[in-house]
Amino acid sequence: MAQGTLALGVEAVGCAAFDAGIKGAFGYPGTPSTEGFEFVEAMIHAAPEGRVAQWAANEKVAYDLALGVSYAGHRTLVTMKHVGLNVAMDAYANSALTGVRGGLVLLVADDPGMHSSQNEQDSRRLAKFAWLPVLEPSTVQECYDFTWRAFELSESLQVPVMVRLVTRLAHCRAHLVRRDVLTPTGLGVAPRETIQDWVLIPSNARRRYVDLLAKQPRMVEALAPMNRLVAGSGRQGVAVAGMGRAYFEQLSLEHPELKAMPRLEVAAYPMDPGLEPAFLAQVDEVFVFEEDYPVLEERLTFQRAGKIHGRMDGSLPRTGELTPRLLKEALSLLTADGKPASSLDLPIRAPRFCDGCGHVDAYEAMQEALRNLGVPDARVFGDIGCYTLAAQEPMSAIHAVVEMGASISMAVGAAMAGQTPSVAVIGDSTFGHSGLPALLTAADSGVNVTVMILDNRVVGMTGQQPSQALDQVERMVLGMGIPAAQVQVLTPLPRQHEANVKAMETALQHPGPSVVVFRRECIQSIRRGVLKEHDQELKACAEQACCSTEARP
Amino acid sequence: MSEPRIHGIVFGGVGGQGVLSLAQIVLEALRRSGLHALQSEIHGMSQRGGSVHAQVCFSEVPLSSPIIDEGCADLLIALEPLEALRYVAMLRMNGQLVVSEEPQVNMEGYPPLDDVYAALKKVRGCHLVDTEDLARKLNHRQAGGMALLGMASKFLPVPDAVWHDVITERFAAKGARVTEKNIEAFNAGRGLVQEAVGV
Ligand code: SF4
Repeated sequence: MAQGTLALGVEAVGCAAFDAGIKGAFGYPGTPSTEGFEFVEAMIHAAPEGRVAQWAANEKVAYDLALGVSYAGHRTLVTMKHVGLNVAMDAYANSALTGVRGGLVLLVADDPGMHSSQNEQDSRRLAKFAWLPVLEPSTVQECYDFTWRAFELSESLQVPVMVRLVTRLAHCRAHLVRRDVLTPTGLGVAPRETIQDWVLIPSNARRRYVDLLAKQPRMVEALAPMNRLVAGSGRQGVAVAGMGRAYFEQLSLEHPELKAMPRLEVAAYPMDPGLEPAFLAQVDEVFVFEEDYPVLEERLTFQRAGKIHGRMDGSLPRTGELTPRLLKEALSLLTADGKPASSLDLPIRAPRFCDGCGHVDAYEAMQEALRNLGVPDARVFGDIGCYTLAAQEPMSAIHAVVEMGASISMAVGAAMAGQTPSVAVIGDSTFGHSGLPALLTAADSGVNVTVMILDNRVVGMTGQQPSQALDQVERMVLGMGIPAAQVQVLTPLPRQHEANVKAMETALQHPGPSVVVFRRECIQSIRRGVLKEHDQELKACAEQACCSTEARP
Repeated sequence: MSEPRIHGIVFGGVGGQGVLSLAQIVLEALRRSGLHALQSEIHGMSQRGGSVHAQVCFSEVPLSSPIIDEGCADLLIALEPLEALRYVAMLRMNGQLVVSEEPQVNMEGYPPLDDVYAALKKVRGCHLVDTEDLARKLNHRQAGGMALLGMASKFLPVPDAVWHDVITERFAAKGARVTEKNIEAFNAGRGLVQEAVGV
């Protein structure tokens, strides 16, 4: 039975995936994509019926899991943020060649304005790079409707389809009208005659690449109804996509004269190459409103007819989020006079470590050990997680943060270049995400690198999702080839401070690779009892000796 | 010809204060009152005590933009006085503010409280609430948010019964006692603004 619900944009995607009959949902947390997975996960837990929802070790693994579900003939959703798609890029670009069997929809949440990200890259570009379709909703209802359409397109075109959101839509909450829920029905495993399509050895891959390019006109045709030309009067037009489309629509409620402008409305790529010349023939001047990179704008500029205003000619700022105010300014619409801003100096209230967070104790032990060893200007490689907050004043404990997993590899590189001591700080989840191969390299390198693994037992930053490395960190470290004598497990608590400083000094002085694990559960996770059930099971298990407890450190 | 008016509410506070949950109550109440409403939220690391900010837009016609432009909001609901000052310029000239007096000093360089209050009192349409005192009187530690909502409700086109229903449903899982306490705080807030507007 169709029903309504209040949902965020990303949640609408998750909800639609559930309703469209997915068998599996996978993802790696990252703002602003996280709630999309959590929504579908909650629905699946409430009514599993053979469905699975699982956070993966990283985005590539999540994507591969989804591809497996698709291979087995079922619909599947995979979720991540824009920088996560870089991690999954290998899988994503190659899945364009294998094609899919059960519908595969990829939710990517971009973060223009970098509210909580390392860069503002536009995933539409990566879809184009992979020669795959991307749908760009502009309202919460469209998030839902487009996801349904994405599943249908994925199955009819036999390729993965991306649904691309941006922060403002991902975190826009609105009423949603749902369709009837489908039960997952499998198409069965990929048939024998298609096996070669899935084996990307060069001879097959060459053939599949030709097939993929040959499919482009079919993609254009299938997506054509999502892009449209709206005739108007005057020689000034607008080209709008995504949130640009949403903002323009609303602006023309307040300024009805805008409705008369000829419009190019884009919601899906690849788009019909005839659309732009047809539009440009009607106008001499165009304002382009799209979120993030000038994708549409570049296409129009390439046609070289009339004046094109947007991010490239400076009518809009080159970086940062698109906002309704920017549209008003570009279109020279007067803005209302509001109250004057407060003249008081308002200091920024930045996020900070929760009171009593173990990360703080770990950093203090490291900083004191470095001071004791007389390292005047220590440079420490950090990573992505709550512990990144240590980069801020006054702590300033880490001095480089680049991408998930980079801390270890960069520290090894720096040690190879002569930096000593060379310290990497990484969380347990980030370690599982992409620290493992880097640690393998560290172990093999033999250089003096000290890897601090801050193990809070969950993914702290995005809301205490389970860490794939839970209770496994030391075993992994040993398995990577770090000698047991160079592996220490410490408890980051104030009363352990002296002992922790000593242990850090030992690790820093050791001429080869060493690993120090600081383990204390995230305060928020304890408060919410996230691991309570897990720990009880583990305890019962140990008491009854019903299975090996070796996994327990 | 009159264009449909689009109304905006801004919510400001600090992570953990319940800014987003207040915004959701307002969103649902407006929707149940037959209006079109959208909410937008910015909360990178909300549990870590940073600024948290949400917006609700509503109108009689369908909306597509969840963001309010500067100088266009009608109402500001702030759970903290310094955070209130951050969003004053979001308000239109005759916009209203309901602000909790209770500071959250979890940062360096929090300005002297008297300066913060003085700056707020200079803003026309500002209603300051001593939520600490109110919480004590009602014997309900978390009364502040609901009291502010009660005050704010004076400026929103939502019938009493709808507020009552939405709040009741929101706290249903926590039991009748909690629900009652919250309704009580809401009503106390409503009473306060009557005084303020009456003067
Ligand atoms: S959420 Fe957890 S890991 Fe993050 S700062 Fe708080 S206690 Fe530390």
